[in-house]
Amino acid sequence: MTQHHKLERILIIGFGPVAASLIEGLLPGLEAGLFSLDVISAEQHAAYNRVLLAEVASGATTAEHLAMIDPLRLLAAGVGLHLGASVTRVDRSRRQVHLGSGQTLGYERLIFATGARPVVPTLNGLDFSPHAEANLPAGVMALRTLEDAMALNRVLNSGGRVLILGGGILGIEAALAMAEAGHRPVLVHHGHAPLGRSVDSDGGILLARSLRAAGVEVISGVRATAVRRDADGFSALVTEDHGEITGDALLLSCGVRARTELAAGCGLKVGRGIKTNEHLVADTENRVFALGDCAEVAGAAPSGLLAPGWAQAGWLADFLLTHRAPAPDLATTALDPASAAPLVERTNVLMLKGQSLELVVAGNVMAGPWDEGQERVSVFADPQAGRYLKLVTEHDVLTGFLAIGLPRTGAEMVLAFERGTVLPEDRSALLRLDDPAAPDSLVVPSADDQLCRCSGATHGQVAHAVTDGCTTVAEVGAACRAGTGCGGCRETIEAMLRVSIPV
Amino acid sequence: MTLTVESLKTTDTHCPYCALQCGITLDPSPGAEAREPVLLSGRDFETNRGALCRKGYSAGNLLNHPERISTPLRRRTDGGFDPVSWEDALDEIAQQATRIRTQHGADAVAVFGAGGLTNEKAYQLGKFARLALGTSRIDYNGRFCMSSAAAAGNRAFGLDRGLPFPLADLDNASMILLLGSNVAETMPPFVRHLRNARDCGGLVVVDPRRSLTAELCAEGSGWHLQPTPGTDLELLLGLAHVLLSENLIDEDYLSTRTLGLASLRASVNPWWPERVATITGVPASEIRRTARALAAAASEAKTGGGPVYILTGRGVEQHANGTDTTTAAINIALLLGLPGTLGGGFGTITGQGNGQGGREHGQKSDQLPGYRKITDPSHRAHVAKVWGIDPEIIPGPGIPATELLHTLGTADGAKMLLVHGSNPALSSPDASKVIAGLRRLDFLVVCDFFLSETAAEADLVLPVLQWAEEEGTMTNLEGRVLRRRAALRPPAGARSELWILTELAKRLDAPGSFSADAREVFEELRLASAGGLADYSGIDWDDLDQGAAIYWPCPSSKTLNHTPGKRSGTPRLFLDGFAYPDALARLIPLYPGTSRPALHAPGKLALVTGRLLEHYQSGTQTRRVAELNAAAPEARLEIHPGTARAHGIRDGQRVAVRNERGEVVARATLSTAVRLDTVFLPFHFAGEQNANLLTDSTVDPISAMPEFKNASVSLHPLGDES
Repeated sequence: MTQHHKLERILIIGFGPVAASLIEGLLPGLEAGLFSLDVISAEQHAAYNRVLLAEVASGATTAEHLAMIDPLRLLAAGVGLHLGASVTRVDRSRRQVHLGSGQTLGYERLIFATGARPVVPTLNGLDFSPHAEANLPAGVMALRTLEDAMALNRVLNSGGRVLILGGGILGIEAALAMAEAGHRPVLVHHGHAPLGRSVDSDGGILLARSLRAAGVEVISGVRATAVRRDADGFSALVTEDHGEITGDALLLSCGVRARTELAAGCGLKVGRGIKTNEHLVADTENRVFALGDCAEVAGAAPSGLLAPGWAQAGWLADFLLTHRAPAPDLATTALDPASAAPLVERTNVLMLKGQSLELVVAGNVMAGPWDEGQERVSVFADPQAGRYLKLVTEHDVLTGFLAIGLPRTGAEMVLAFERGTVLPEDRSALLRLDDPAAPDSLVVPSADDQLCRCSGATHGQVAHAVTDGCTTVAEVGAACRAGTGCGGCRETIEAMLRVSIPV
Repeated sequence: MTLTVESLKTTDTHCPYCALQCGITLDPSPGAEAREPVLLSGRDFETNRGALCRKGYSAGNLLNHPERISTPLRRRTDGGFDPVSWEDALDEIAQQATRIRTQHGADAVAVFGAGGLTNEKAYQLGKFARLALGTSRIDYNGRFCMSSAAAAGNRAFGLDRGLPFPLADLDNASMILLLGSNVAETMPPFVRHLRNARDCGGLVVVDPRRSLTAELCAEGSGWHLQPTPGTDLELLLGLAHVLLSENLIDEDYLSTRTLGLASLRASVNPWWPERVATITGVPASEIRRTARALAAAASEAKTGGGPVYILTGRGVEQHANGTDTTTAAINIALLLGLPGTLGGGFGTITGQGNGQGGREHGQKSDQLPGYRKITDPSHRAHVAKVWGIDPEIIPGPGIPATELLHTLGTADGAKMLLVHGSNPALSSPDASKVIAGLRRLDFLVVCDFFLSETAAEADLVLPVLQWAEEEGTMTNLEGRVLRRRAALRPPAGARSELWILTELAKRLDAPGSFSADAREVFEELRLASAGGLADYSGIDWDDLDQGAAIYWPCPSSKTLNHTPGKRSGTPRLFLDGFAYPDALARLIPLYPGTSRPALHAPGKLALVTGRLLEHYQSGTQTRRVAELNAAAPEARLEIHPGTARAHGIRDGQRVAVRNERGEVVARATLSTAVRLDTVFLPFHFAGEQNANLLTDSTVDPISAMPEFKNASVSLHPLGDES
C-alpha cells in the first residue's frame, strides 16, 4: 500500500488552454518518473483555443484549428485523462477528489485550473444567477464553447443580424471577426467608447471610428435593461435611452467570473477568484495551487486574458518539476520570495486580434501630456491615417502605452513594457520603426569611400577605371575588381558609366 | 619565406574559404616583385560564375606570409617556442599519447577536427582517433556550425545534405525565405543567385539586424522581418499557424509524402499571429503577409511559376533550440509542399569550406564514414571490414564539442588534445573556459600554418600545408564533390596532415592502414562510405579531375556524365521519396519551453554575434592579410543610437560589454540597423575583443549546438585612453 503511493500524484482540475500549457510543461517530469499526472475535465473535448472561437463562428477557420494539445500524445505519455467528468467534492484532509461517477482520485498536489464562466448581465429575460452554468434562451449566447460558436455560425450563415453586448476586447474581436467575414455586426456597449477602461479618450474616439470603417456598427452609451423574445428566440435588446435595438442573436461579452464553488466547498479562501499567494499556493501546506482565470493571485483579480495564465502555467510547471510535494507530517517550509510567479500586470497586454485594425494597449494610459506628475507622456496622433501612439513612462520605463495603426511600434512596445526596457530619449525614434527604412546615404561619396564592399574598390578607383576608358561593368571589374563579388553595386557602376559616355 | 614559384603551372582549383568553394584559377605571378606567389582569378564555376569576394581575391597572400610556421615548434618552459625536428616532434607525441593512455585510459586523449579539412583528412582523422588512439573522444568545430541543421534534416527527411538541390536552382526562384543568413557578407557571390527572387519582389530576410543581406530586400525586392533575438522558433510557428488556419497548405502533398500532420496541427494552433507578435516584435500583419505570399508563390510554382525556397543559416541554428527552429522552417516547406519537388524546397547554407564533407566521414563523436552511426552494429561491421579490423576495436560514441572542450584537464576530461584546422580558443562558446581547459592539459598538439590563439597555447605546433599546396576533395554546400589541387610545392618544413597521421599511426602501432596520399585515402573513403547515406562509392577521382559535376549520394551503380553542364550522382534529392524506409518526410510537432530565462532584465541587452565580409571564422588567416585587416582591423560593437544615448555611449567610444562569463572591450559604431534591445559583435577577433568570451555554452538537447546568438549583456562606456 505504502509502496503504491511512493510516486507523487499530481491532479489537475480543468483542461482549458492554461491547464494544457501546464500539462505540456509537466511532461518531462512524467517521462522522468517524478510523478503521475491526472487531468479532470467537464468537457468531452481536450483543451481548445477559445481565443479563436470568433473566427470559427464567422467561418474564417474551422474547429480543427482550435485544438491546443494532442490528447493521443498525452495518453501515450501516461497522463490520466478524465474527460466529461464532474467533480462533486474535494476532500483535502484525505487528499481525495470525488467524481460524479463515484470514482475517487488521490493526490499529493492539486491544481485548480477551473477557469471562468461568462457573466450574464442583469437583464430582464435572462437567468443571471452567478454560480450556475448559464441557461440562456435561444438566440442569446456567450462565446465560450465550440457549441456557442456553432450556434452563432448558424445565425450568421442565414444572414442574421448579430448584436454584441460589451465593449471589452473579446466583444470587439468577435465583432471584427464577423465584419472581416463580410457580416454586419452591431457592437452595443455602455461607456463612451469601446475599451473605455483601457484606452484614453482620444484613443477611444479613433478606435470607434476605426471599427466603423472596418464594418462594425458601434452604438455607445447604451444602458440595456431587458431582452425581448419572439417565437424564434431573441428579437431585440431593450435599452433605457436607445429604444429597442433589434437583432437575430445577442452575443454576451460582459466579462467572465471565476469558477470557485469547488474551491470554496473545500474550505479554500475565495474572493474574485481562488485566493493564492504569489507562489500560486491556495492552502497553508503548499499542496494546493490555482492559476489562470479561476485564481486571484496575491490580491490581483483574474484578467480574463490568456497570456497571464500561460505565464503562470510556465512558472508553475517549473516549480512543480523542481520542488517535491511536502511530506504529510512535516512543517511547511517557506518558499523563496524571489522565485514568485510572474506578476499579472506585466503580462496584462491587450493586442487586438483582427486584421483590419491594429491596436495594442498595456498598463495605464489615462495620463495626459500636460498633466503634472512623475510620468512623462508622449503622444502622436494622425487620425486621418488611423494612427495614434501614447507612451507613458516613469524614468524612461513604460508604465503604459497605446498604439493604433502602428503595428511594428506596437509589437516592439509590448516587449519593452514586459521587460521594463529603458526607452530611447528621442521617443520619435519609436515611430520610425513603422517607416520603411530610409536610405542613410544621401551624402555624396568621396573618392576614398568604398563603392564595392566585396572587393574593397573605392568610388575613386571606379571613376579612374571609367576615365581610363572602361565602357562596361565587366571592364571596370577587370580593371579594379568592383562589381565582381555579389554584383550589388552593378547599378552604381552602370550609372557612372552612363554619365561618362557622351550621348 | 621563399616558395618555389617555378613549380607553378596554371591550375584550376577552389577558394580556400567558405562552402561556396568558388572556382578559381592560379597562374604564375607576373613578376618577381609581386607580393603573392600566384595570380589568382575567378573562374566560371557554377556557384560563383567568375565572381569572388575580397577574401578570395587576397587568399594568395597567405601562401608566403612572413608569419607562416616553417618548422615544428616545441614550447619552452618560459612560454616561447623552439624549433624541433619532425622526427623528435612525432616521437614525443607518440610517447605522450602512450603514457597518458596507459595512465588514464584511451579516452584521456582527444581529437578536435574541422569543417575546413579535406574529405580525406577528415576521414583519416576519424580513423586515426578510433584506431591509433583508441579514443571515443573526437568531435569538431562543425558542431558549432552545422549540427542543428544536420539534426533537423536527418529527423525530417532521414538525410542531411545542406542544399538537396544545385545552388543554381535558386536562379529561377520567385520567392526565397532566408532565415538568419547574411550571405552578402559571408559569401557575396551567393547574392547573384538571389537576383530573380529580388526581381519578383520575393526575397524575405529574417534577421534581428538590418544586415547587408536584409538591405537586399529594399526598394520592392522583398521585405525584412526583424524579430528580437531568440524568438525565431515562435515566428516560424506563427507562419505555420497562418498556413494551417487559413488552409493554405498542399493537402495532396501532405497526404502522399508526409507523416504527422495531425499532431503538427495541435502544436501550431496556439501560435496565432498576435500572440507571436507580442513575443517576437514582428507585427501580426507581417506574419500573415509572409505566410500568404509563400503560399501564393508555392501554388504558382506548381503551375509553371518560379520555384520557392526556404533557407536557413547559423542565425537561426546557433541556439539552444536550433534543431527545433530549423525543424520549424522545414515544417513550413513541407506544409507548402516543396521539398522533393521541382517547385522549390528547403536548404541550409553550409558555412565552412568543407562543412558538408566534414560532417559525413567520421569526425563527429557519434559517427562513422558515409554518415554512418557509430552505435549501429551493421554500420560498425561495414566500416570495420573496410578497415580490416574487428568491429569490437572501434570505440563507442564520444562527447560533443562543448562538453569535450569545457572538461579538458578535469578528472573526467581529456588530458591530451590534438587540434586540426580549428581555433577553439576563439571560436568556442564561453571561450575563457576553453582557454582554461587548454592550459590544464598535460599535452596539447596543434596542426596549423599560423600561430593561432589555440596554437599559442600548445606544447607542440606542427606546420601543415595550405590549400594551394595539397591534393584532395572538398564537398561544397550543394553536396557536389570538388577537387582541390596543388599548384605550388610546399615550403620545406611543412607536412601534410595525412603524412603526420600516417607517421603517428606507425609509431602507435595502430591496426589498419594509413596513407599520406590523398588519392589512396579517397579510394578507401569510397569503400567505407558505400551503402551509407553519404555514399561516395561511385565517384571517380579522374572524373572529378575532368570537372564532372558529381553530387552525392553516388553509389557505384550510377553512370557519370562528363558533358560540361551535365550533372551526375544525385543533384536533386528526394524527388522519388525521402530517405526513410517508407519514403515519407516527417512533420515534427514542436513545443517551445513555457518559460524562458530573463534575458532582457532591465539594463540588459541581447548580444548577437556574427561575421564581417573581410574575415573568415576565427580570423587566423584573414587577420593576417594586410588588405583585409586594414578594412576591418578591430571588432566594433554595433548599437542603436537610441540605446547608445541611454547608456551615454558616443560613436567610436570604447565600451566594456559584460556578463557573468566575461568582458569584451570594443569601440561602438552607432547604427539604426540593430534593434533597440540588441547589440552586435563580430567574432573574428582575439584577446579582449573575443566575442565568445560572452557567449553562452548552454547547448541544444539534440544537436549539442551552443547558444551563440543570444547572450545577455550589460554595457559600460569607458574613457578614451588607448
